[in-house]
Amino acid sequence: MTRIRVLFGVAAAAMAVGLWFALTAPPDSLQGQYSRIINVHVPSLWLAFLAFGVTALGSIAWLWKKTQRWDRLASASAEIGVLFTGIGLFTGMVWGQAVWGRAWDWGDARLTTTAVMFFVYLGYIALRNAVDDPVVRARRSAILGVVAVVQVPLVYFSVNLFRTLHPIQSIRPDGSAMPSEMIFAMLVNVVAFTILYVALMAARTDVARTEETFRESELLAGDAVKPPKLSEVKDV
Amino acid sequence: MSFWGQTLEIARVDLRVERRLGDTLRIVLPFAVVALMVFPLSLGIELAVISRIGPAVFWSLGILFGMQIALRQSVADTQERRDLHALLGVDPAARFVGRMLSGGVLMLAFLVVLFIAMVLIYGPTLPPGSWSTVLVGTVLFSIGLTELGTLAGEVTAGLRNRTALASLIVAPLALPLVIGASQSLEALSRGAGILPWVLLMLATDLALAVVGVGLARPLEEATR
Repeated sequence: MTRIRVLFGVAAAAMAVGLWFALTAPPDSLQGQYSRIINVHVPSLWLAFLAFGVTALGSIAWLWKKTQRWDRLASASAEIGVLFTGIGLFTGMVWGQAVWGRAWDWGDARLTTTAVMFFVYLGYIALRNAVDDPVVRARRSAILGVVAVVQVPLVYFSVNLFRTLHPIQSIRPDGSAMPSEMIFAMLVNVVAFTILYVALMAARTDVARTEETFRESELLAGDAVKPPKLSEVKDV
Repeated sequence: MSFWGQTLEIARVDLRVERRLGDTLRIVLPFAVVALMVFPLSLGIELAVISRIGPAVFWSLGILFGMQIALRQSVADTQERRDLHALLGVDPAARFVGRMLSGGVLMLAFLVVLFIAMVLIYGPTLPPGSWSTVLVGTVLFSIGLTELGTLAGEVTAGLRNRTALASLIVAPLALPLVIGASQSLEALSRGAGILPWVLLMLATDLALAVVGVGLARPLEEATR
């Protein structure tokens, strides 16, 4: 528990530093103050990609090793990934409303594919909720976790594959169109969000472990309070 | 029996069961054609609009009703049937490929009939070379959707809300197939090449086939 508190403390400090850089970096000359949304939007979606990648790795590890810790890792990461995909979508829509004049644009392949990725992982969570047996749940969701990750490269490269309104990657091998102060602020926030992800993962896997222990103790208690079979009762 | 012998036998039995039950051709297909007629009725009689949206409606209905074919009741194995397959030593990968073949054949037949119905009802202006493009797109779309449907059907086997859950899993994952199929026809209308879209569908089909065959054994265990 102390470890998780320390992690959240570090994450809070990193987020405060990220916020300071986000608010003090110079705004874009065309987009004005709305350009600051990038400091939440990009880190959220980076985190979503990371989270879904970890889900896929955890799923592969479960299929290989068959140990519950990999299932806990995969499921916790998927839940956090869905949360941050939602935040990324919302901030993207706010930015779109301000800059394009509309929150949702069907001409934007990144927006559409991100929404689809969001639903793929909602399906993953729905599947987990539909299965009671922990081993069956782990096995089925591991298979889906491996299949679902194909959405991640599709979302990432959608801006290159399709003629789309969405700006292409901010940081590229051939340099960037953004000023270095904005890039730096965004990178600080990417680091801060990643630390937050680690803290959330530690907390969520801890909750999952507690849930498993509780379920096991419930089963034991259930056995203890079961009425004895009539055949076992001698002197009635 | 060899791998391909098992595969063909599974596909043959599936198709025979389907011929007897007739879910696809007697229920899903007429329902899809009715749905095809609902769109123009809800839009009003604007021939230009109806003609323009025809191919898009076709692919939308293709995915919606295609999922019903992929998740049809005749391939939802009971525990006894699974046990029988295991006792007979049927290779799980052969079962996956066989199921994919039978579903692919049914899906292809369904989409071809639905496309003809769409052309008759909507009267779209199709550019030259459309038929071969649609055929290639339909074949790749059918294979991919069947692979996804088979995977989702296995992952959700025996669950109370199987159909809804499997649809939630298949629909978003089928996005590359829908994009590839619809954009190839759009590209043809613009006079652009269709190769990138065909490659997108082909890559998706191959990736799903590798995943399906590679995970066939864990899938088999997952349903126990």
